[in-house]
Amino acid sequence: MANKVVIYTTSECAYCEMTKEFFRQNKISYEEKDVSVDDKAREEMVAKSGQLGAPVVDIDGEIVIGFDEEKLAELLSIK
Amino acid sequence: MFYDLIIIGGGPAGAAAGVYSARKKLKTLIIADSFGGQSLVSDSIENWIGVKKMTGLELARMLEEHVRAYENVEIKMPEKVTAIKAIKSSFSAQGGPASGWQVTTNKGKNYQAKTLIIASGSRRKELNVPGEKKFKGKGVAYCSTCDAPIFKDKVAAVVGGGNSSLEAAIDLIPYARKIYLLNRSGSRADPLIQEKARKSPKIAVINDAEVREILGNKFVSGLKYLDKKTNKIKKLAVEGVFVEIGTTPNSEIFKNFVKMNTAGEIIVNRETMATNHSGIFAAGDVTDEIYKQNNISAGAGVIAALSAYNYLLNIKKNENKNSN
Repeated sequence: MANKVVIYTTSECAYCEMTKEFFRQNKISYEEKDVSVDDKAREEMVAKSGQLGAPVVDIDGEIVIGFDEEKLAELLSIK
Repeated sequence: MFYDLIIIGGGPAGAAAGVYSARKKLKTLIIADSFGGQSLVSDSIENWIGVKKMTGLELARMLEEHVRAYENVEIKMPEKVTAIKAIKSSFSAQGGPASGWQVTTNKGKNYQAKTLIIASGSRRKELNVPGEKKFKGKGVAYCSTCDAPIFKDKVAAVVGGGNSSLEAAIDLIPYARKIYLLNRSGSRADPLIQEKARKSPKIAVINDAEVREILGNKFVSGLKYLDKKTNKIKKLAVEGVFVEIGTTPNSEIFKNFVKMNTAGEIIVNRETMATNHSGIFAAGDVTDEIYKQNNISAGAGVIAALSAYNYLLNIKKNENKNSN
């Protein structure tokens, strides 16, 4: 079954771009929420992660902070 | 596998060294956290010669693509070197070099090479005050381009007196409600950027302020600083603290091997990028180079690679002499 992946980003964030590229390379579909323009998403991100920093990734409720390639690969079963 | 050369770092210095080393047909390994160096998070680079404007990520991709165009360069990434040590080469008995270097990484791997180029760059300096570690990512931030939007309608402080502190403040203007700029001894930023920052009514400058503690519960709620004019500790209610107090070289693990200055920068011969230890070269922001610039780091990486190549040629020559 496909994972439900949500990424919280800001507009000028290199690690956000790298995370999205990682998803694209591995053919993972994701929903992006840009917290620089979406107030509700920002609150959601902070509440979920306890973090004031981007990116934050939510994979089926598991939270990954920053671009953590290994953790993402593990949660998405990417070899 | 015994490499000719291990390059530690994937910034402009490491990437340039990789390209030149590849073109000299050296068996090369690059071990890097990422490509691009400190500029990776920059939203706009306007001084890389030949490119009018690009993002840090674009620079990183250019560097990576260029290095990956060569088959004789292997890349381990993301991986971090945690220790190095001198070794006797396994094939010294067969007339190989008498010594080489073993590099250990955070993945528990060991790699060996005849020469090393240290291009590990530098990183943001931390304040080293109570609360900073605890609230990292919870109000304490080191990347204004990444995180400024998250501080929408919040009160933020930027600590530092250089260009980067004002750039961070400018990144925050569209989002934060109020921005305090704290510096220890007046602003050292370029006049052009000072002017830009002064235009915003949101920015308030506090001079002669030395941050002593970051306060908070779950997130940052304030900071304490020493007002050096009155010698009194003062409190400031803020929800964000952006730390922009300069950089420090990533050189700690090399300190028993190569000579450094008091700032921890590796001292290199400017003509060859050689350190005081034969067979170890260094380039870029980890060295005592005066101007920490991407273009200069790339040039230094080229010098280091060519010097490493010459060093390897000399070893070979001596071996041939000895065996004849």
